Amino acid sequence: MSVIVLGLSHRSAPVELRERFAFAESKIPTALQELRESGLVTEGVVLSTCNRVEIYAVTALAPDDQFFARFKNFLIAHHAYDGALGDELYTFAEPHSLQHLFKVAAGLDSMVIGETEIFGQLKKAYDLAFSHKFTGARLNKAFQRAFNVAKFIRTETNIQRGSVSVMSAAVELAEKIFSSLADHEVLVIGAGETSEKTARALQSRGVKKITVTNRSPERAAALAAELGTGTTTVPFAQWPEAFEHIDIAVSSTAATTHILNRATLEPLMKRRHHRPLLLIDIAVPRDIDPAVSELDNVYLYNVDDLKAIADEYLKLRHKELDHCHRIIAEKVAALLAANKFSTTDKHR
Amino acid sequence: MAWFTDRHCFLLAVLIYGLSTVYAVFLWRKGFRRDDWANYFLLATGVALHTLAMFKRGLTLHSCPVNNLYEATTFLLWALGLAALVYALLPKFKFICAYAAPVLFTVGVFALMPSLDPHGPKPEFSGALRSIHAATILQAYGAFGLAAVAAVMFLGQQHDLKAHKLRALLSFLPSMQRLELITTRLVAVGFLLLTVGLTAGAWLPRKDGVPYLADPKVIWSALLWLVYLEALVAHRFFGRSPRRFAAVVIATFLFLLLTFWFTNLLSPLHHP
Repeated sequence: MSVIVLGLSHRSAPVELRERFAFAESKIPTALQELRESGLVTEGVVLSTCNRVEIYAVTALAPDDQFFARFKNFLIAHHAYDGALGDELYTFAEPHSLQHLFKVAAGLDSMVIGETEIFGQLKKAYDLAFSHKFTGARLNKAFQRAFNVAKFIRTETNIQRGSVSVMSAAVELAEKIFSSLADHEVLVIGAGETSEKTARALQSRGVKKITVTNRSPERAAALAAELGTGTTTVPFAQWPEAFEHIDIAVSSTAATTHILNRATLEPLMKRRHHRPLLLIDIAVPRDIDPAVSELDNVYLYNVDDLKAIADEYLKLRHKELDHCHRIIAEKVAALLAANKFSTTDKHR
Repeated sequence: MAWFTDRHCFLLAVLIYGLSTVYAVFLWRKGFRRDDWANYFLLATGVALHTLAMFKRGLTLHSCPVNNLYEATTFLLWALGLAALVYALLPKFKFICAYAAPVLFTVGVFALMPSLDPHGPKPEFSGALRSIHAATILQAYGAFGLAAVAAVMFLGQQHDLKAHKLRALLSFLPSMQRLELITTRLVAVGFLLLTVGLTAGAWLPRKDGVPYLADPKVIWSALLWLVYLEALVAHRFFGRSPRRFAAVVIATFLFLLLTFWFTNLLSPLHHP
């Protein structure tokens, strides 16, 4: 008995191929039933997301090339795929199958390294198979251990540390300046998609009051309606007046010159008693004159600054990969030793 | 164990503050990236030994150990260390210990100079009012010291955020607003204690022929009181920026540290 994996992911196959092999959630129990009836496996879990389609299974057969050829044929036949295939489908036997499962659970094999969404997706896939009794002792143990190791890696390493998107970097900055975002008001200048995403990211971290301003009042009103309760609008000509009570401003207008400069902001800062002000300029060309950052208690970040933060975090996550892989190798070795799992080489 | 005096105990405490300082340098070089209890426990051990040292001295004197410069300095440091341990329990404030350790170590080494404690445990004065006067003022200095430590953290964070340094985000330090709030509160507490201590001092019986209002220590204390009052009022009511407030808090505490012993020695009231 050994745990095996068959699948394709963003690393091995383009989206056109991934979508051909994707499983609809409602069809997974039937697919697993067919797989079991094929006599190839005794237990199985199907993970189907936008970035990967994988079958984790337990087989009593020897997981050799012949076995994996039959396993691949089952998948191809199930999806009635008649195109050509190269190395897009990958297969793993123990210990690599377990290492792969642990890596997937910890987000190490994800497109954005360290992301946590895959953990929930994997848990859901396992729960579905478990509830339909397609898992047994071996797969249960492997998945439980994978979830534990993923949590361990999350707490013991920096793999999930930091913001890897421009919007989340802006939110993280706000949290470094203000104690609680719930007590601070945000001014959104420009009603574009980026403004909306940033405003939503701030809302998700507790911001309750948002003021939207735009050259087109209709678009400002539409964005305010999208953002929901606690959001108001202010005419574009009057937005500097809002600076007295806001603490964070997100600007993304299509203006070709600076709409906020030092001369405008200096008296406004006096009126707001020099309370800290975070300015997030995500417009290109920039809306805010860089000279405003010379003012005391004004923190200005433009889109490149935020991108640099996100990139640095991503680099840090990549640096943590070796550490995470070592942890996984140790944990898999411990699991195999505890269960006297057989070991075979990786098959592709 | 009679050979093991309160000064040996304090020496051990200072050595542990030294270890804590060395560890703090490593934490700083790593950018305070992970929540860390090790430095907290190091500092807690130091403060425990420090408390024992003061307790032993207090038992010998049968009063609060604030009689000479050694005792005054150790009392000030003890107040600072204890406050740091308490504040470190607040979320993301653990690294205040790393910032406080160098102050505790350097001033602790200075306090160990034999000339500051020439006669050992010897009661120089008696009376509850005198003890209150000295103890509250030294506690106030401790609060000002910790406020200066928080202000250093504030300025460091502000510099990193302004300069777009990633370590500002990676560090496990409190938000700017929280650091500003803590600094302000510590200065306010220190100011209150200083007011109580100075008021108690004004009620103490005076020796004939020794000038009171012209005493260097009295003038120095009044000046200190005014500077902290101005800092609080300007920050709270006149919109003085947090950066300038933090700079004033640090500069005033440095002035306090550098002139505390000097003014004591010059004062006929305190150093007859």
